[in-house]
Amino acid sequence: MVNKEEIFKKMQKAIYDYDKDAAVAAAKEALDAGIDPVEAVEKGFAVAIRDLGEKFDRMEIFLPELVMGAEAMKAGVEILKEAILARGETMEKKGTVVIGTVEGDIHDIGKTIVIAMLQSAGFEVYDLGKDVPIPEFLKRAEEVKADIIGASALLTTTMLRQKDLIEYIKMSGKRDKYFIIVGGAPTSKEWAKEIGADGHGKDAIEAVKVCEELMKKKRGAA
Amino acid sequence: MVNYIDVAIRAETGPMIAEEDFNMKLIAMKAAEYSKEIDFKFDPKEPVNTDNTLADEIWDAGLRFFLDVGIYSVKTRRRIVFDESEVKHALKNVKSRLEVGQGKDRRVLYNRGVEDTKPPVIFGGPFNCDVSEEMFVRFNEAYAREEIIDVLFLPGYLKTLSGLDVRPDSGLSSRTVVLYGRWSREAIARAGRPGMAIVGHAIMGLNEIGVTNEDWGLRVTDPRAMVMLPELQVDDVTLSRLVYYIQYGAPIYIAFTPLVGGFAGGPESTTIVATASHIAAVMLGGEIIHMGPQHVRYRHQTNIHSLWVASRVKQAVSRNSKMIHLTSHTTAGRAGSEQFLYEFAALEIDVVPSGSHVAGPRPADLKFNNHNSPLAARLFGEVGHAAAKLKRDEANELVLKLYDIYKDKIDFETAPVGKPFEELYDVNTLKPKPEHYEQYMKVKKHLADLGLELEFD
Repeated sequence: MVNKEEIFKKMQKAIYDYDKDAAVAAAKEALDAGIDPVEAVEKGFAVAIRDLGEKFDRMEIFLPELVMGAEAMKAGVEILKEAILARGETMEKKGTVVIGTVEGDIHDIGKTIVIAMLQSAGFEVYDLGKDVPIPEFLKRAEEVKADIIGASALLTTTMLRQKDLIEYIKMSGKRDKYFIIVGGAPTSKEWAKEIGADGHGKDAIEAVKVCEELMKKKRGAA
Repeated sequence: MVNYIDVAIRAETGPMIAEEDFNMKLIAMKAAEYSKEIDFKFDPKEPVNTDNTLADEIWDAGLRFFLDVGIYSVKTRRRIVFDESEVKHALKNVKSRLEVGQGKDRRVLYNRGVEDTKPPVIFGGPFNCDVSEEMFVRFNEAYAREEIIDVLFLPGYLKTLSGLDVRPDSGLSSRTVVLYGRWSREAIARAGRPGMAIVGHAIMGLNEIGVTNEDWGLRVTDPRAMVMLPELQVDDVTLSRLVYYIQYGAPIYIAFTPLVGGFAGGPESTTIVATASHIAAVMLGGEIIHMGPQHVRYRHQTNIHSLWVASRVKQAVSRNSKMIHLTSHTTAGRAGSEQFLYEFAALEIDVVPSGSHVAGPRPADLKFNNHNSPLAARLFGEVGHAAAKLKRDEANELVLKLYDIYKDKIDFETAPVGKPFEELYDVNTLKPKPEHYEQYMKVKKHLADLGLELEFD
């Protein structure tokens, strides 16, 4: 009898070692052992990636390690996801987020951190990149049936585009369909409120909390 | 010899690489690799470096790292690369002396060495905090009235004009740029320093080049600031402005903000990337090289990691090149608070004995328009001059004492909020209000008591 705990430990070790191949191998081993894929994600990969997120917040590890950990997890989860789909089921996810840095702004390190943390927390994230034209946010959100649209801006000049984004989505008649969150160095809760956003994260950890709360709200309303 | 034309060509023809790979496989991996070759470890008890050999090893690693990595052109996804002979030639010929400004207000910028007793040049001003239209001239005039400020630094970001939001590259931004030039000139003229050099960057995209006019705008003697993105990246707008300003003949001021904890990794490997960024700035044509020792977690420049990195990098550059280089100062504590003053003093005492000039200060997280203080900039100048009299070991002790004062309030949420200019000053007389002046004197006396040789009238 294969020890489940040992497999979970292997999955965690793959994340701590930032090792994509090991993550894939551990995911396959979990499936071979008949472990429920959802349980495997939660008790294996997710434990380690959450820990990495906390270590990053304490600056015990740095962005390259966080990104590599998130990439290893993504590779492993992909294997588990395929197995779930093959069973004709869907993998439960916390929510789907479409995120990008607004048009005119080419900073995206903060967004990279937010994406890594959101993925770690179980969100499916679509990264639009940077300097993203406003219509692209909505177009992609429609395509992937997103729950949340995230717009990042690092400059005081480009945060105005967050306001434009909200106006554009309102104009398109889709405002009620999506939660919109904003972030970036010059932004604040007050700014988010002023422009009619649904949430603001002062940093990546808060961004995850805001997304979780918004999803609870959505599920509560459903 | 490589010049801006080669840079523009290489941005179109250099080796292509995805940005993710540039960040992870080149910046992150190579920085980690080179830093492992050096025997050093972040030590919170030693923000100021006293080891010359270490500074030289960091320089050597930074140079080799730069040759491996080059500069990333964001738009074309190509690396702008240079060979060793090109880089060495550029470093050999970089200006070690440069005049800015005009007439009696002209200043000579020069390269400083480690523990150099020549005072740093003081670049002081709003440092591009959000400045309201109605306060722009008065605010900058108050800075220009501060004799200790040598160069007016980044007169401010005009976020709105006649109540309308100004977007970069819009028609309105073109108008804003012209007013930025006119009002900056008016401010220095009102202060009686019409030839004072102005470091300009109106943050208006490519429209910004419209600021140039010898009669009413920024002149050929005013440095123009361009910003490289972290780490070692340039965008087309920056390259375009660069080419224009070089051809115009204005002094080229290149700024960058290495991010401790970002793709550069921890404090140790960030020293390599930050040193390489100085070299990159020279290769782009930079004559005045500005580093803001930024931090991914704290988002300001006075945390202990930034202090540790800044001292080592400044010494590496000062000991091994003739560059005119400086350090910017952004803080957690905001203008109008004592903490603001202690924070920038700590970073100045860290970098001035390490060979740097100084620029700033500014709160990193602004709460109001005009959220800065010319009187604080006076203390910034005074501390900069006094710090040039310190040896590195003395500086280290002082930095630790100052860091102790503010270390528990370095998150934006806990740092003091402070006040905007119009609450700190009588905006008619342009004199600081009594309580603001008392705060300045209190901190200045405290700094003197701690051992800084400050001058009192």
